[in-house]
Order: sequence, then C-alpha cells, then structure tokens
Amino acid sequence: MKKFITLLTLLPLTLLAHLDIAVSYPYIGALTKTIGGEHITTTVLAKGNWDPHFIIPRPSLIAKMRNADALIMNGGQLEIGWLPPLINRAGNPKVDTNAKTFLNLSHHVALLNKPKEVDRKDGDIHPDGNPHFHLNPQNILLLAGVIRDFLISIDTEHKAIYEKNYTDFSTAWSQKMKIWSEKMKEKKGLKVIQFHDNLAYFNNVYGLTNIGTIEPLPGIPPSSKHTIEIIELIKKEQPCCILHDVYHSTKTAEFISEKTGIKVVLMPHDIEALENISDLSSLFDHLTSAIK
Amino acid sequence: MKKILLASALCATLVYGEAAKVLPVEKRTFDQSKYIPDISAILDFSYVNNSVGNDEIAHLELPGIAHGLLGEHSHGSSNHATYNSKQGFNLNYAEVVLSSNVDPFFSMDAVFHFSKNGVEVEEAYFTTTALGNGLRARGGKLNSNFGYLNAQHHHYWDFGDMPLVYEAFLGMHGINELGAQIQWTAPTPFYLMAGFEVLQGENEQMFGNKTIGNVENPIAKGDNAPSLYVGYVKASHDIGDTTIFGGVSYAQGSSRVDHSEDETPYVFSGDSKLYGADFVVLHSLNSYSSIKWQSEWLSREMGGIQYNLNPISSPNINKKQSGLYSQLIYTHDKNWKTGVRYDTIYKNDVKEDGIDANKPNDFKKYSAMIEYHTSEFARFRLQYNRNNAMYNENGDKVDVNSIILQANISIGAHAAHSF
Repeated sequence: MKKFITLLTLLPLTLLAHLDIAVSYPYIGALTKTIGGEHITTTVLAKGNWDPHFIIPRPSLIAKMRNADALIMNGGQLEIGWLPPLINRAGNPKVDTNAKTFLNLSHHVALLNKPKEVDRKDGDIHPDGNPHFHLNPQNILLLAGVIRDFLISIDTEHKAIYEKNYTDFSTAWSQKMKIWSEKMKEKKGLKVIQFHDNLAYFNNVYGLTNIGTIEPLPGIPPSSKHTIEIIELIKKEQPCCILHDVYHSTKTAEFISEKTGIKVVLMPHDIEALENISDLSSLFDHLTSAIK
Repeated sequence: MKKILLASALCATLVYGEAAKVLPVEKRTFDQSKYIPDISAILDFSYVNNSVGNDEIAHLELPGIAHGLLGEHSHGSSNHATYNSKQGFNLNYAEVVLSSNVDPFFSMDAVFHFSKNGVEVEEAYFTTTALGNGLRARGGKLNSNFGYLNAQHHHYWDFGDMPLVYEAFLGMHGINELGAQIQWTAPTPFYLMAGFEVLQGENEQMFGNKTIGNVENPIAKGDNAPSLYVGYVKASHDIGDTTIFGGVSYAQGSSRVDHSEDETPYVFSGDSKLYGADFVVLHSLNSYSSIKWQSEWLSREMGGIQYNLNPISSPNINKKQSGLYSQLIYTHDKNWKTGVRYDTIYKNDVKEDGIDANKPNDFKKYSAMIEYHTSEFARFRLQYNRNNAMYNENGDKVDVNSIILQANISIGAHAAHSF
C-alpha cells in the first residue's frame, strides 16, 4: 500500500493533493514554490509593484484566504494595515495566527533598527524593527530553510523532496551570493539617501550607509523644510545617489537630484516591482548592478 | 503609647517596604498586563454652520417618511441628537474600542460611544474564529451587514453625515441591534458571501416590537421578540486593478414606531420590509491613489395601522418608499481626498385607507467634501451640503445649506478596515 502511495506521488495526478499556500508578498511565493516544487501551489496576495505597507484588502483576497491550506506572511507589522481583516473574514482556521499551518517569517530573522521608544510622534514606525529583511540575500537562504521546515511540518510525506529542493536552492543561491558580493565589493562604504529605509538589510550586508530619507519620518510624506535639510546634507556628506523605491513618486527625489547633481536610482523591493524582475535571482542581479 | 505604636508600625513598613521592591512588569509572578486588549480612542469633533437656525432645523421633516433628521430634540426625558446637530462646535462622540481574542474559539470587540447623552454600548459582540468551512458566527450588539455602509463605523465613512435614504429609513445608527449573525464565504475563486441575521427589532424609525401605551389598554400591542430578520448575498471580482463589489439585502420585521410624544402625536403598528442593493467600483491608480464609486438603493414597504392621537383616528397605512445615494471619491495621495455625493428619495407613495395621501416625492441632497490627512490617524474634512429635501410643518420646502468642518482623530491600536 505504501509503495502504491509513493508511486502515486510521482504521478502528476497528485496535483489533486496539492497544498494551496497563500503568501502575502511575491518573494515569499517564489521562495515557497522553489522549496515546495510540484507539491504545492502558491497564491500571492499583494502585487509586487505596490507599497507593501498599503495593500487594499479587496474581497477577492478573502476568497483566496478562504480556500488556502496555509498562510505564510512577512510579519514585523508589514501586513498590519491589510491582512487582519482578511483573516477575520475568511472563516478559515488554517490561516489563523495560532494555526500550525500559519508561518510568520519575521519570527525567524533578527530584525534591524528596533526602536527603543515607540511613539507615533516619530511617524509610522515598526515597533519590532525594520521588516524589509528579505533584501539581504543571506536572509533569503535562511528563510528558505524556515519554509522547508514549515512545509515538512505540515506535509511530512514529502519531507525528502522539500529537503532536496532546499539543498539544490542553497547550492545555487550560495554561488550567486558570491557573485553579488564580488559586484558590490567596490561599493562598500558608499553613502546613500533613500525615500524610506527599505534597503536597511541590503545596505547592511554590502556596507552601504544610509544617511537620510526623503520622508521626514517613516510614513510621513516629504515636506519642503525637510527637503531643504536633505539637500544641505547631500552637499555636506556627498552620498553617491538616491536609492528610490518604485511605488512612491520620484518628484521630490528628482528635485533634490536637480539641486545637488546626484543620481536617482530605482531599486525594486520585490519580484514584479519592475518589469524585468521575474524571480528572486533577477531581483538581486538588478539590485547589485543598479548603483553605477 | 499610641503614638509610639504608630511610629514603630510606620518604621516597620518603611524597613520591610524597602525589601519589597516594585518588580518590573515582566518579573511579576501573577502579572496579566500582556493580556490587555487592543485599545483605541477615537474623537469626532465638528464645527457646523447651517443656513437654518437650531430651533427651526429640528422641526423640519420628510413628510410621510421621517422627521427630526437634523438638529436635536427631546423624546420625553431623553435628548436625541444626530451627528453635527447644532450650530457651532459639536462633540459627536469620543469612542473607545476594545478588542482581543478570548480563547482559541472566539474574539470579542466592544465599542463605547461617550457623548453628552451618556455612554452607549454602540457594539459589543463575540465572533467565532474556529468554525472553518468559510463560516463565521457573531452574537451580541452589532451593526447589521445589510447593505454596504451599515456595517461600517461612522469614522470610516467618506462623509460626516449619513446618506439621506439611510438616515430617513433607519435613523443615524442604521440597523444596530442585539442579535445573532451567521455568514458563509463560498469556496469559489471569486468572493461570494451569504449571511443571515436574527435581530431583536429595536429600530426607532422602522422596526420594533414593544407595546406602546399602557400595558392594560395599549395604543398598539407588542409582538414577540426577536422580530427582525436580515439576509444578504455579496459578491466581488477584480478586473486588473479594478475591484467590482455588489450585494443585495433584505430585512423584514415587525414595526412599532412611537411618536406619541411628538407635536403631531401618533403610533404606527404593523410590518415592514426593506430591500437593498449596493454597488461599489474601486479603481486603484497606484498604492495611494484611487477612484471609488459607491451607490446604494433602498426601498421599503410598511403596512399597518397608524393610531393618530390628536385628533384621534386610526387609518390603515401603506407606505412604499425608495431612494438612493451615489458617491464618487477620488483619493489623490496619502494626504488628500475629495468627493461628491448625490442623495435622493424619489418614491413616497403613502396610502391612508387606500387613498393616496399625496405626499411629496422630490427629496434631493447634494454634498461635496475635501479631506486632509496629516497621517493615517488624523483627518480633517470640509463638507458642504445642499439639502433640498426638507419641509417645515406647514408643508413648505425649506432649503438647508450646511458647512461641516470635522476632525476625526484616533490614538492607540489602529485596526485595519475591511473593504
């Protein structure tokens, strides 16, 4: 009987036994699909070219959550503005935060910049620290391991496959990380300006220093007073460039660029953030070659 | 001697008190502070300027449909005021919201409205979290999910006042009742939800079951509670960055409407049906900018006896009334939002003993607003209303123009809103 089941799993017919895993962002979808292979399907809730903090909780997402067998989220309060009402309305205990089939990735990563004090006077800060941890490729590998363990815990039957997929990914990814490190070597020590501190982990791993953000405080739109301060700062500190996300308007950045002569570089934060970013490799290929 | 005892007792307290240091929260053996529910406080404050004074505005009505929609007035001992009811400054409410999981099976939410009329339990309900199969049940005091706007809290609305047809038919709280609700989300690739509610039936404008008058010789005899039943089906689908959402709703229940202490006193006793259809299209331009078109149609039938108390008569009354609102909201960015709304009640067929009472049916209202958000937690709204729907007691139309400057501020936990 067991042999028969094993045989069955090798057949494409097992499509029927698929785990449908809902994930909040495209990068989690890609990673989960890499480890899960043909034994899972992923349903990505948020679009990659939009601000991950501000996703409209469309009713269609409730339908997706209702039909999911598991949920993997980024965490670190990145989804706090949109995911809770979807969980609340889905009527699906499998995606509830106390379920065995629920995974909060932020619980497995050491977060940077955890604020000592939490006060809305300081803007819309993340009390647990900066949640954009996936932009360090080392964390991607770490998260791949977390997702492997998670998939094994909810689907022990395919343990060997998930382990093999992880090992394959790990080997390929480690090689790519070497290339990316090599490419970024000469950028070490560069100072950068950002719109929002999206790239904290990227900067951290490649030795870039963020010296200021165009938004005066997290989540607070640019003000003319702060823009003038940033221009002064740029003149004094000579950063290489403004690393800009794809979803905020680059209007203020271009104004600053005009006044100071430093470049504005678009930095995708996730898969599909720019047209040519189709997978995790191309995301980091792009990020590591963006600063010229 | 007493003094010595007292002094030594004090000394002992000081000495031993030193030993019993106040421990930090995380080291207290029986500390429960981690279980504090999410708490938020919301303030709604407005400045209002109406073209019609406080005294006159409270007497305006929609003949055959509702009166007391604007301004504030007394019902016996209780004072009744709508939002933004008087000239000058208004504290519409200070709202306190508590919510938390109860155990692995339920969550609980409670919303308290503090206003000058006292504290009102606006909502207090428990919700199942573990039923599965797309099912969710809720019990307690709750906002019915009839229509689109009814389940939303006031601070989430795009205008400071309720659409005309809602307020005229259901009053400023809409269908806010004691009861039980069950909802089922279908396992379809698109969103499809059906819900059913059994509610007490205590809506002052339309639904009720209480005996009116003295118990021995009532004006209108009561009905058994619960007496209000609500059902609805909602569906939604996305086409690219556009979300289309639509629903149909139905409510049916006993009606006991008590206007026995009004200037023209009467009591209505009968049955009512309320039909609703809602349609929302939301097109996102980017992460922060969108266009939202939201419309709802309401239609009601009320049948029963109207006991007029002065002069006394008791005609059979049959009302068929319909209206709608349609609003278009443009969100420019995180700071700015603007919109317009059109309100109408276009059907007002009232028959007294089968004879048409010839009530007016040309009620219209136009609103425009612009909002500035300093952050997600504070918004300031300037709204202009041109209300061409009101009549005075002589049956003459009175146009009301209003400016509302509203501040809506929240602190504490900030629950995400559903669509």
